[in-house]
Amino acid sequence: MGIIDGFSHLVIHVTDLDRSEAFYRDVIGLDVIGRDLVNDQGPNLLLAMNSRQRVLLVEVPEVVAIRPNSSTIHHAWLLTMEEFDRTRARLKKMGYEVSDSRAQFRAMGEHSMDLFDPDGHRYQIQAYAPEATAVLCDNTGPINCGHLDDFPVGTVKSFVKGKFFLVRLDDGFIALSRWCTHLNGLLSWKKEHWEFYCPMHGARFDRRGMPRPLSHTPIPLRVHPVTITPDGEVMVDPDTAISRDGFSADHVVAPEPGAHLATEAREGA
Amino acid sequence: MAQAETLSHSGICVHDLKEAQEFYCGVLGAELKGAVNFFTEDTLNGRSVHQSYALGDYLFAVALAPDFMPMPPVDQLRGAMGVRHAFTVAKARFDHTIESLTGSGVPFEGPVDHPENGPFGASIYFKDPSGNFLEILWRRDEDASTAPIPVLETG
Repeated sequence: MGIIDGFSHLVIHVTDLDRSEAFYRDVIGLDVIGRDLVNDQGPNLLLAMNSRQRVLLVEVPEVVAIRPNSSTIHHAWLLTMEEFDRTRARLKKMGYEVSDSRAQFRAMGEHSMDLFDPDGHRYQIQAYAPEATAVLCDNTGPINCGHLDDFPVGTVKSFVKGKFFLVRLDDGFIALSRWCTHLNGLLSWKKEHWEFYCPMHGARFDRRGMPRPLSHTPIPLRVHPVTITPDGEVMVDPDTAISRDGFSADHVVAPEPGAHLATEAREGA
Repeated sequence: MAQAETLSHSGICVHDLKEAQEFYCGVLGAELKGAVNFFTEDTLNGRSVHQSYALGDYLFAVALAPDFMPMPPVDQLRGAMGVRHAFTVAKARFDHTIESLTGSGVPFEGPVDHPENGPFGASIYFKDPSGNFLEILWRRDEDASTAPIPVLETG
């Protein structure tokens, strides 16, 4: 925890306290606590979110909303999905242009809008729908991936239907869900780096589905049950996604006819 | 009820990511949570070079400024380059925080007392090595809301 406990408030410089009060109260939807309750460098107004966090508007003669030669400076409000829908409708009614400058980086269920206050301070308004963190399945039923002899050690094959990777490790097969465990971004296989990569937030996982360091999540990729038929066909059931705390040899199915995911592994880590 | 639950994160800019990491993680006790665009795929996807630090229950996405940002005067410790981030610490630990900052050699201004009819107690003011202004305060209403605030790992 270090020498702080948490975030208290954001101090925002504004040139016209009345104008900004109207924006933060009526457009963003914050609750007004009161004026000049804080010893700061100008007339000030304190506003509240539903958490203990506050916003302190301080009136100054001149505002530098974004430091010159900087980029990406912004602050993100987190709303419930209901609040987000109401805010989007309210902004539209008020005539605000609503866009999402980083739409290409949004994962499933991740909603965001850009907004500027009257002085040019840049905000993101975000919300997460249930599909951002839900376990997603295509309901395809079991998929025949081919004969086990078609998968030399080291093979990683991506399946569009069912959205999984079938990986042939030294000791057998593992089927990994392509949905990122950080938020539901769809992973791709980066052969050059021998890892799975999420283009949404940059998370990376190794071939056992374990997160690389600094990958935004400590949670391994989910696995799907693998069964090798008596004829040696590799069957994967992508409709069953098993969450894991870590890697276990049980998650890997031996490359032999008749082998299947161990019962212990099916029950999760 | 307000229409916003919380602030989840801020994107700020620094001149030097290693220096910023030493300051936020080493001095303030933040945790390094993510690093983006240290790999070619990120660059090809148009992502900025940045790290993310969890400071208590808040997330800073710390990006490299594309060019040198003008710095505030060296002797100015209290201010805002348009914005300032204020972090809270329990009143009982406030003196420890001051001692710790002093021990780390971080110059600060304060403590500055706030009006007794308001929710804040006293603040100290300082800045990171790239000139971003920061504040640590204790709050009279520290018990008013103890509900955990989600730290969201974005960016």
